Amino acid sequence: MNAVKAIFLKELRVEFRNKQMINSYLILSLMIIASFRFAFSIIDFSITELASPILWISFFFGGMFSLSPIYKREIEQGTKEGLLLTPISPSSIYFGKLFANLFIIFCLELFILLLFFVFFPVNIPDLFSLLCIIVISTIGITALGNLISAISSNLSQSEVMLPVLLVPVLLFTVIMSSVSVTSNVFAGANIFDVLDEVRLILAFDVVFIAVGYLLIDYILEE
Amino acid sequence: MPDKILVANNIKKSFGFLQVLNGVNLTINKGDKYILFGSNGVGKTTLIKILSTTLSADSGELKIFGKGIEKRSKEIKNKIGFMSHEPYLYSELSAWENLDFYANLYSIKNKKEKIGSLLKEVGLYHRSNDRVGSFSRGMKQRLSLARALIHSPDLIFLDEPYTGLDIKAQDILNNLINRLNQEGKTFFCITHDISSSFNIANRYGILSKGQIVYETEGVEKKIFSEKYIEILRRESF
Repeated sequence: MNAVKAIFLKELRVEFRNKQMINSYLILSLMIIASFRFAFSIIDFSITELASPILWISFFFGGMFSLSPIYKREIEQGTKEGLLLTPISPSSIYFGKLFANLFIIFCLELFILLLFFVFFPVNIPDLFSLLCIIVISTIGITALGNLISAISSNLSQSEVMLPVLLVPVLLFTVIMSSVSVTSNVFAGANIFDVLDEVRLILAFDVVFIAVGYLLIDYILEE
Repeated sequence: MPDKILVANNIKKSFGFLQVLNGVNLTINKGDKYILFGSNGVGKTTLIKILSTTLSADSGELKIFGKGIEKRSKEIKNKIGFMSHEPYLYSELSAWENLDFYANLYSIKNKKEKIGSLLKEVGLYHRSNDRVGSFSRGMKQRLSLARALIHSPDLIFLDEPYTGLDIKAQDILNNLINRLNQEGKTFFCITHDISSSFNIANRYGILSKGQIVYETEGVEKKIFSEKYIEILRRESF
């Protein structure tokens, strides 16, 4: 547990001291939301119907770019071997980085959510349900993203490979379910009305985390 | 009978069609200060990575402290330290934070005292709070040595440790190696540079064409240099 905490804190220190990266995530998020605003400013649309896809596309693309460097940086700085030399288990590295990724993406999502309310003033009947769904879905997105980031970090075009590998899998699993559930919440439902879909997202979370836990040893080995 | 702490038998490693190591046999005894010389690209770094368990061999047997390394046990990892030519340091963190991070991974008790004394020993205590990104190559090397020693390992691997070090830093490194060796620590070092490293060792080897072709101990620098040059000349044919 100490090793997970040490890696979690190290990742956050490295990430938040790298101001260039943080600024680029924030600017990218702003650009995504602003693009949607301008795109929809010329057509008539129902904000309640479009709020959910806009929000999840923004979360997904904003978050995806913050996933890429977390393993790639270890390769670029030559610190991966330093980690492997220590007596900690590869799963500690996986969970330390997963929790750090989650923290960073939650912060980013909070920023995107604030921007979203500014650009798209929408009524949310049940904020608690919306936040719960965001947390549950983000765990799945981050778990799979973390794993694919580890796999693609050894590849020369890792920044390109991450979305190529991540988008098809996430789109038809967590994202699709999350968009559907969030649409219902914007339409007035609460989390208990959409429990079946929430359970499905939770199942994806468990599967993605389990696959990462089981594979990380082989991925980090070489 | 010397206490063998590392025994490598017939270690082979290739990358694609390139056979880098072609049957390396090596024994390191407790208290040795062993330097393996070899020209650039001869497989020194590949060998030291295999011996330090960060890279797997294609075949051969490796025992460290009497145990096979197949499982890469925590026990072995706790007993070995590795100062690579990559410093394994995070440029966004300070010198102290880097050592603190590794101290946590090794579950070091009394880490504050340990980190403080190591930073003093490598002459970087006054730069404890400065980010490693602002350090010179030589300072990173010294901090990397402190990182490799944070868990007081019994067997310490050094990969080209003198690269980028000025004379003062070389002196610090040599004194540290000698002091730790007197405390019973064992060193295995690889380098191509005879001039700066020869005097610290008590055993010497030469790696050529994927094998250790010559081993000796207690030899004069001049005689060893002649042998080394002869092997390098043969290598080029």
